[in-house]
Amino acid sequence: MRNSKEQLIHMVNQIVENNQHGGPEKAAAATSVHMKKFWARSMKEDIIEYLKTDGSDLSDTAKLAVGML
Amino acid sequence: MLEYFDPTKDLGTPAILSETMVSIEIDGVSVSVPEGTSVMRAAALHDINIPKLCATDNLEAFGSCRLCAVEIEGRRGYPASCTTPVAEGMQVTTQNEKLGRLRRNVMELYISDHPLDCLTCPANGDCELQDMAGAVGLREVRYGFDGENHLDAQKDNSNPYFSFDPSKCIVCSRCVRACEEVQGTFALTVDGRGFDSKISAGVAQDFVDSDCVSCGACVQACPTSTLMEKSVIDQGQPEHSIVTTCAYCGVGCSFEAQMKGDKLIRMVPYKGGEANEGHSCVKGRFAFGYATHGDRIKEPMIRDSIDQPWRAVSWEEAFEFSAKKIHKIQAEHGRESVGGITSSRCTNEETYLVQKLIRTAFGNNNTDTCARVCHSPTGFGLKTTLGESAGTQTFPSVSKADSIVVIGANPTDAHPVVGSMIRRRLREGASLIVADPRDIDLLKTPHLSEAIHLQLRPGTNVALINALGHVVMTENLQDDAFIGDRCDKEAFEQWKAFICEERNSPEASEEITGVKPELVRKAAKVYADAGNGAIFYGLGVTEHSQGSTMVMGIANLALATGNLGREGVGVNPLRGQNNVQGSCDMGSFPHELPGYQHVGVKDVRDKFEAVWNVKIDEEPGLRIPNMFDAAINGNFKGMYVQGEDIAQSDPNTQHVEKALRALDCLIVQDIFLNETAKFAHVLLPGSTFLEKDGTFTNGERRINRVRKVMPPLAGLADWEVTLGLSKALGYEMHYNHPSEIMDEIALLTPTFTGVNYDKLEKLGSIQWPCNDESPEGTPTMHVEDFPIGKGNFAITEYIPTLERSTRRLPLLLTTGRILSQYNVGAQTRRTDNMVWHAEDVLEINPYDANERGISDGDWLGITSRAGNTVLRALVSTRQLPGVVYTTFHHPGSGANVITTDNSDWATNCPEYKVTAVQVEKVTQPSEWQKEFQAMDKKQLQFLRAEKAPAETAQ
Repeated sequence: MRNSKEQLIHMVNQIVENNQHGGPEKAAAATSVHMKKFWARSMKEDIIEYLKTDGSDLSDTAKLAVGML
Repeated sequence: MLEYFDPTKDLGTPAILSETMVSIEIDGVSVSVPEGTSVMRAAALHDINIPKLCATDNLEAFGSCRLCAVEIEGRRGYPASCTTPVAEGMQVTTQNEKLGRLRRNVMELYISDHPLDCLTCPANGDCELQDMAGAVGLREVRYGFDGENHLDAQKDNSNPYFSFDPSKCIVCSRCVRACEEVQGTFALTVDGRGFDSKISAGVAQDFVDSDCVSCGACVQACPTSTLMEKSVIDQGQPEHSIVTTCAYCGVGCSFEAQMKGDKLIRMVPYKGGEANEGHSCVKGRFAFGYATHGDRIKEPMIRDSIDQPWRAVSWEEAFEFSAKKIHKIQAEHGRESVGGITSSRCTNEETYLVQKLIRTAFGNNNTDTCARVCHSPTGFGLKTTLGESAGTQTFPSVSKADSIVVIGANPTDAHPVVGSMIRRRLREGASLIVADPRDIDLLKTPHLSEAIHLQLRPGTNVALINALGHVVMTENLQDDAFIGDRCDKEAFEQWKAFICEERNSPEASEEITGVKPELVRKAAKVYADAGNGAIFYGLGVTEHSQGSTMVMGIANLALATGNLGREGVGVNPLRGQNNVQGSCDMGSFPHELPGYQHVGVKDVRDKFEAVWNVKIDEEPGLRIPNMFDAAINGNFKGMYVQGEDIAQSDPNTQHVEKALRALDCLIVQDIFLNETAKFAHVLLPGSTFLEKDGTFTNGERRINRVRKVMPPLAGLADWEVTLGLSKALGYEMHYNHPSEIMDEIALLTPTFTGVNYDKLEKLGSIQWPCNDESPEGTPTMHVEDFPIGKGNFAITEYIPTLERSTRRLPLLLTTGRILSQYNVGAQTRRTDNMVWHAEDVLEINPYDANERGISDGDWLGITSRAGNTVLRALVSTRQLPGVVYTTFHHPGSGANVITTDNSDWATNCPEYKVTAVQVEKVTQPSEWQKEFQAMDKKQLQFLRAEKAPAETAQ
């Protein structure tokens, strides 16, 4: 089972994967909007922090999306 | 003439819908009724009441008792008024000497084979046979009682809720016809001929062993005491009744709570209930004993640690204790370190108050509801495509459907009254398409015409819905006019290009779904060509990693075929709990205020802030699974849970338990010490639906009144408890009655602006939106346009779930419900429904069973990557090889110990429906089950230790 950080990473990658139509840029934008609309402040802060410190388990598009937050 | 509907009067035969009116004269009174109406009904509508026994207005006329004979000018003999339709100019006489003699003769024959024990009969005062004997003036029975008769026929008391006393039976067949026409089960029959005729459950079986589903339709139809509730036999006839709404599933059936003082004698489905139209299921009709069960929590209780016994305290002390702990947590860990869960079992008003408390007294948006784990993808998917987070139809609208598609739902078990409505329409000739990994009972509907079972592999819904969409578009089955007028052109063109790709064809999808392409093509044609195609879906759609995608796929299909915006069509989510729709409407989700208004929108916040007099956080809060993760991380420390048992119902039980143990303050408000309460520091007694006023909103957006029929057992209704807690937290709310809470909801919620209790009293129920545009509500949504303007086709790419069968975990587990139990079983396990389902079992296909040497009743260890548990085996062909199935109604079963942390990509709704498992024979419970039993024993001791002195004092 995933820990909370792994779960957040999984969630971003999963949102990206389900929004891939239209290419990476659109997918990143849609994922970013989704996170802004539905994710709690602490979740956004945690994933932003993860991208800054590591980010290796985020897909390329997911990194783009988190970068837009 | 207009037929004003009086649900309390039995008009003898069903209403006929015809615009052609026919005029006749009955006993000199001129009458005009729709063509096809029976003489009996035409007379009854004008208060001319023709004696009857075998007729009742929820069953087709049968014409067997002959008591309703009349004279018709120019016709020979004495036709039965129930089976004789009106004809223009007809002149009817309902009462004269000849008819009186004839009716007395009929009654005399009936009574000659009926016990004369009226004074001690349980139906005394509520017996149509007795009434008719009086009505026809029966004064003697010339035949005596010495001849052959049925007076010694043996009673069948096998059903826990009603008895069958054939000595009282007049073989009017009302019970048989109710079972067929209303319920659709065909469990009863008339066995034998002539004098030997007798009612039989199955093939001379006891009721409890027969196909009878205990819906109670036969009991309600019986004009004597032959079929009679045991509660009435034991306690006598009720003396008053109050109409209220059932607290079980999302159908929202209206019932008369029939009372003796403040004691509930029986629940009788209310004929005026617009969701259920006078029908019921075993749960709503009979399983109300939990409300007065000895396990009810009667006093507030507190403790500092879950390893301590409970201490009963006053309400004030409990509120102060809670507030102090919450304030301490927030002081140490921040404003966002606490949150709460609203209940989908409580009323709209109570749910509204809990989310309001969280957003005001807690000062954050960490509110969520159990819809998170069931229908949150419905909210996301339908809002994205159709613009509103709700089903589109009324339930009775299915009576106009020509093709009925049921996806991932088992209506005859989980939504039985809707199941009966569907079955009725199927008997009338509508076609049925079922998409489900499991064989469901709808597929065995007697007199079913055409049925297609798309028995797909768990987790492949989206591939299947895409294949159906592909057939619609590539075989030119779409409704171009609807698409052109009602749908967004660009979105449609994009979807069309996507769905027409070969990879979405039934042939390409077969490898994924396992469903034969020809079946998919046939199903798509049947649905698209039907005229009216209605889709019903349940948790088999939503509880997947692509739950939201599948909901959008369903909406795409309805948009493409123009199956929206009128009766007989639509997208109909079948909601699990009684007020799931309402809890979502009331702003329970962390990102939305009541009416699905996003917290990030300043104008929305301004409106609420002005009324609530607080600043509302503009950021969404944590969802339930995020709360658990945050608790385990140590930055979420306090939780207020009203009427929800997350420790049993949520997936990955060990993770949930770890989260609950990590909390410094868990406040649980419930009617029982449920599994979650065993981890609580404060236990606030909840009240049942019988103990409070309010409203529930069912799966068709119908707001129905809940009416208090008895006082709250612990003194306060749930809404009053939330007020007390909020006051102690420093945010005082002022309401004298739930109607005032609804007034505030109406003030702040655009779809509720026209809703108030006075209007509910007047109209009976209201389907939202109810506002200036639709002052009496909206039975059918999207008639002219969508809330988002044009219908929005969404791209629904199939993304396989990560949860796949492997060599180590070769089977796929899917979970579900059964008829007699409800959700986590906290209510139904405390009723006689236990007769039908005393334990959860694992259903396994004979192929998989043989491979493992498994037989019925063997103990099976079930292992997933999340955990393992042990259940008994039931070898069954209801699912294909490779798929196993269980229910989650008993906490000790540990069904959710096995389910994983996978969830829907958009909403985090857990993927209950797909878990890779291995199954093997074992000899002892799992480690988790042993720990559960120890915890259960300890916590019950803590509770009993507290309850014992209180009970002694009483």
